[in-house]
Amino acid sequence: MIAVDPLLEAGGWSSIWITLLKVVVAFGLLLVSVIAMVWFERKLHADFSNRLGPRVAGPFGTLQTIADGMKLIFKADLLPSKADKVVFRLAPFLSLVPAFLTFVVVPVGGDFTDGGSGVVKIAGNSTLLQVADPQIGILFVLAMSSVAVYGIMLAGWSSGSKYPLLGSVRASAQMVSYEAALGLSLLCVLLNSGNLSTNSIVASQSNWNWNLWATGIVPFVVFLLAATAEMNRPPFDLVEAEQELVGGFHTEYSSFRFAMFYLAEFMNVITVSAVIATLFLGGPIGPNFGTTGWLAQYVFPVLWFFLKVLGLMIMFVLFRTTLPRLRYDQLMDLGWKLMIPLSLGWFLLLVGFKIGDDRGWSPFAVGVVGLVGLAIGGGLLSIAIRTSQARSAEHKVGA
Amino acid sequence: MSQYLPILVMIVLAALFGGISLVMAKLLNPSRPTAAQTAPYECGIVEQTESPERFPVRFYLVAMIFIVFDIEIIFLYPFTTVYGRLGTFGLLAVIEFAVAVFASFLYLIANGALDWGPAKQSRKGDLGIDSARTSTSTIRRVGLEGREAA
Repeated sequence: MIAVDPLLEAGGWSSIWITLLKVVVAFGLLLVSVIAMVWFERKLHADFSNRLGPRVAGPFGTLQTIADGMKLIFKADLLPSKADKVVFRLAPFLSLVPAFLTFVVVPVGGDFTDGGSGVVKIAGNSTLLQVADPQIGILFVLAMSSVAVYGIMLAGWSSGSKYPLLGSVRASAQMVSYEAALGLSLLCVLLNSGNLSTNSIVASQSNWNWNLWATGIVPFVVFLLAATAEMNRPPFDLVEAEQELVGGFHTEYSSFRFAMFYLAEFMNVITVSAVIATLFLGGPIGPNFGTTGWLAQYVFPVLWFFLKVLGLMIMFVLFRTTLPRLRYDQLMDLGWKLMIPLSLGWFLLLVGFKIGDDRGWSPFAVGVVGLVGLAIGGGLLSIAIRTSQARSAEHKVGA
Repeated sequence: MSQYLPILVMIVLAALFGGISLVMAKLLNPSRPTAAQTAPYECGIVEQTESPERFPVRFYLVAMIFIVFDIEIIFLYPFTTVYGRLGTFGLLAVIEFAVAVFASFLYLIANGALDWGPAKQSRKGDLGIDSARTSTSTIRRVGLEGREAA
């Protein structure tokens, strides 16, 4: 089954209008949810630190984000004298545009029960409740997260100042490291769906066959942590460790250019929550209580999707409020020496199970051989780590 | 290619949103920057050194190691979609590939390519702080004339 959006295959004027409608709705939804997300995070964060949080602008302070945005538009837009002017102006766009684009491939609704394909009818045209469903699907998400690294790297480099440069170099090393872990844990999901398109990844999880347990919990945990690091969210926010780096890569940015980075950062939390829900928690899949028609296609799937995304967003806020920031060497050690080898080993174990299943090998034997293999790998890794520690200690004593 | 049309529309819309907001900001905000405002930010200290253009080589090393892993991941993505047809041969090939990458990764770790900061063992005892530097010698007190005695 090649999953593509039937709407765009059909062509014609009605398909163009519906496409435009979907894009505009997704765009508006993202902006509104960013405003809600910023308010929600500040309010929850304030509750945890025994403060009130925003409460003046609008009911319960809900309009605080809009007020902040308006304020930033009226602030002086400074261009540092030593900045590379073209790159300095380009960098916020490289951060903001990918943040919008990632959400495009996330399916937000449609009936997937009992192997349904999630196709819905809008004004007589069959289509999917996602803006686009390219066959490369999840690779597009990875590509966008890589482009976002350029935004941060170039912002810091072009500022012509100390702290932004340090912050952006840190950021790119961190994002690049965790991207490897992100890609490796994603492989386990693709092994289950056998397809890169996000629509078929969701379809493969129908009937409670969620990837969260179908791949074992490990890829989910690795993906969650790697995505947190990829977004530079606490406890991995060394990029903007204000005690060490002032504001990190956006120290020199002010006015709306700063707002663009800020917007992209919070939008990434929403899109990453949506991507995690799609990959591991079945996206819009959930009980629809035997209903059919628009109730089963729109109301319940969108509701389940919304609840899953909200749950993940609360999780990210809880990470921020409860966990202390890691030190840089701890961050790199966690990424390279634990998460990358672990996700690689877990992937090989799952491949063993899958192929053993096809060939009729005993799952028990595959499990034992696989775990022995992983144990040998882990042992070799710990020997390597100890060797390097002994070497650096020796070197320090000699010097 | 028609599947990519919505993505193109989204790029245009996102860029327009940023662009229009920037134009709006340009029209509405004051633009009389002083020399102090456009100088590189140094926490209020007058800049002493040239702005940096170099960074520690360790970061470059991380990028190099990432490329090795990225290439491995790129080869594994197609494998996940066709592993059923490759069967045992595919399993053995992937394990061999992973072992080859893992061996070079172990070599890098054993050589300390991914170690950051000073070794913990060397920190004991000698913290490298000059005993002449105390809170009285490094902080210059101002506005205390006539109050020291009291």
